[in-house]
Amino acid sequence: MFKKSLYIGFAVAVLIGYMAAGWFGWEVANSGSRSRLGMPFIYNGFHGGK
Amino acid sequence: MSVLQSSCPSCGGPIEFTAGSTIVLVCPFCRSAVARTDRGLQDLGKVAEIAETQSPLKLGLKGTFNGQRFELTGRAQMRHELGGYWDEWYATFSNGWVGWLAEAQGRFYLTFYQPMPQATELPSFASIQLGQFVEGIPSKTPLMVQEKGTATSAAADGEIPYKLVPGEQSDYADLAGKDDAFGTIDYSSDPPWLFIGKHVTLDEIGLGDARSVTREARRVSSEAMRCPNCGGPLNLVAPDQSERVTCPNCNSLLDVNQGNLTYLKALTPPPDQPDFVLPVGADGTFADGTKYRIIGAMVRGVTIDGIKYFWHEYLLYEPTIGFRWLVHSDNHWNFVEPVNPADVTQGTPGIIQTVTYNGQTFKIFQDAPAVVEYVKGEFYWRVEQGETVRAVDYVAPPKMLSLEMTSDEMNWSLGTYMTNAEVEKAFGVKDLPKPWNVAPNQPFTARFYYTWGFLPVLLLLIIAIFLIPFTGLTNTVLSQQIVLPPMTNSAAPQTTFSQPFDLKGNRNVRISATAPVSNSWADLDVDLVNDQSQDVESVDIPIEYYSGVEDGESWSEGGPDQDAILSSLPAGKYTLRVEGTWQNWQQQMPVTVKVEQSVNRGVNFCGAFVLLLIIPLLNLFRKFSFESKRWKDSMFSSSGSDE
Repeated sequence: MFKKSLYIGFAVAVLIGYMAAGWFGWEVANSGSRSRLGMPFIYNGFHGGK
Repeated sequence: MSVLQSSCPSCGGPIEFTAGSTIVLVCPFCRSAVARTDRGLQDLGKVAEIAETQSPLKLGLKGTFNGQRFELTGRAQMRHELGGYWDEWYATFSNGWVGWLAEAQGRFYLTFYQPMPQATELPSFASIQLGQFVEGIPSKTPLMVQEKGTATSAAADGEIPYKLVPGEQSDYADLAGKDDAFGTIDYSSDPPWLFIGKHVTLDEIGLGDARSVTREARRVSSEAMRCPNCGGPLNLVAPDQSERVTCPNCNSLLDVNQGNLTYLKALTPPPDQPDFVLPVGADGTFADGTKYRIIGAMVRGVTIDGIKYFWHEYLLYEPTIGFRWLVHSDNHWNFVEPVNPADVTQGTPGIIQTVTYNGQTFKIFQDAPAVVEYVKGEFYWRVEQGETVRAVDYVAPPKMLSLEMTSDEMNWSLGTYMTNAEVEKAFGVKDLPKPWNVAPNQPFTARFYYTWGFLPVLLLLIIAIFLIPFTGLTNTVLSQQIVLPPMTNSAAPQTTFSQPFDLKGNRNVRISATAPVSNSWADLDVDLVNDQSQDVESVDIPIEYYSGVEDGESWSEGGPDQDAILSSLPAGKYTLRVEGTWQNWQQQMPVTVKVEQSVNRGVNFCGAFVLLLIIPLLNLFRKFSFESKRWKDSMFSSSGSDE
């Protein structure tokens, strides 16, 4: 029962997080130097040309 | 016939036939069976005294069935050919009905004589087959042959409505049907007699209070019993029902015949077998509050592909309920209770053999001869080492239906899986050995995660659809071409600014740049500058495009367009500061920049989707693995997963 509650809590947190991101315009993977989530989760910056 | 007062032809004592239907009366003074005939009273011989049992019934008890009152006026005690006794109580109804209330192993069956329709005959005893539905019987529900055998009239008391001859043997077939229907074909007469009725509870027939009746039962005294082999004391829990007992002192198997013990043989446990983990004599209180005592334990074995597998079975006893079993196999536990064979129906013929019980389909798991290897304690039948039955198991976790069949009898039972914790709690023990594999009917306990676990995924899809107006209607706030002048050298970037534009809050931002690169690159450092606060958000937008022909095939890599995504920024007026370096630095670089908001990108959705799928998929995988382990031990492993 504890594990079920834990899983339900996790799923609810993911759904709320997704809704909040949609509502507030957060991007989990973004290129910003100071994203609203505090830091870029995935930095896709250029690392030099050929 | 009417009420008759007379004298016993054997002892001269006064006797009275109170029920008109009574044929035989057992003289209360000399225990002679006295029959009334057209020519007077006839002495049929002495009948043995009833072996008192823990039955809650007694002569003179009054009850009600279908609105008709009845009284128990007679009792016949019958002996089963395999040992053991059952009682048949003669119920005289106030409206003239004559019924039989059979009592066996704590269960009660009320039946009435039923004439067969004209031109219809019952099958002969020799031809009747176990499991066969008997046709032509005037019964609401089809009746199946559950057992056939020979009974011996062992003892009697009170008034009996047929010519009871002490010691007489008669063949019978017990029938069972749906909805607790029950019947018996009595082959003591020609043509045979048919009795039809149903399984009843004492409450149903107005004898519920009989449970509290106490009387001085002339039970076989356990204190008086000593092993005929070693002289050691024996304590029998159900001495009136036991047919076999083992001596705990010398390990002898003894026959029990109404208190008389006979030495049969010395028992040796099978080699390399762990001892019983629960002791004979232990009391266990199960989840429904019923307290059973373990009165016997046995080791049974089955040989499959030359390998012998053993398991333990504990015989549980509770006087008002009867016998149940607790099966211990591979350290898994099952509580087993009997099932009406007529409630089990064969499934639709197909690749997988199935049976249906109580609306649930069970798949065949094992079909093999099971052999009694060793016994300990007391048993209600004449158990022997080497006793073999055909055992067929069908599973629908957490239940298991088992068929045990001999040439004379077929018994269905329903096992319910019990966890170690439940058994430990029931018997107040600790640290029972842990199971080491998956039991045939062990339930997979994480079903929730791969069934209801997909609900959040569905919710995510719904939420994503409702969020489209907020996240998916892209709005362009800037689209401008800017020109970066030629660089003074290859390392000195050039900078320029866009025109100001407005950004709304709570909307993500996409900055796109297009540069005319061909087999070259351009690297743009773009700063989004808040005109009011001068806060800067920087992104790097690299653009590169290469193409050519190699081995006759054209190729290309990259492209003239590139973009970067930002989370939302505070609403306000912004300007783009574009700083660039590029490969052909001697030439100017025209760049088209575009700023959009509310871009539906899908990364958040994919991230949430993957997160929510991990646990359901993981448990689905565990489920397949669990079922694979379950069925690898089956003779019918092609049955595969149960869902």
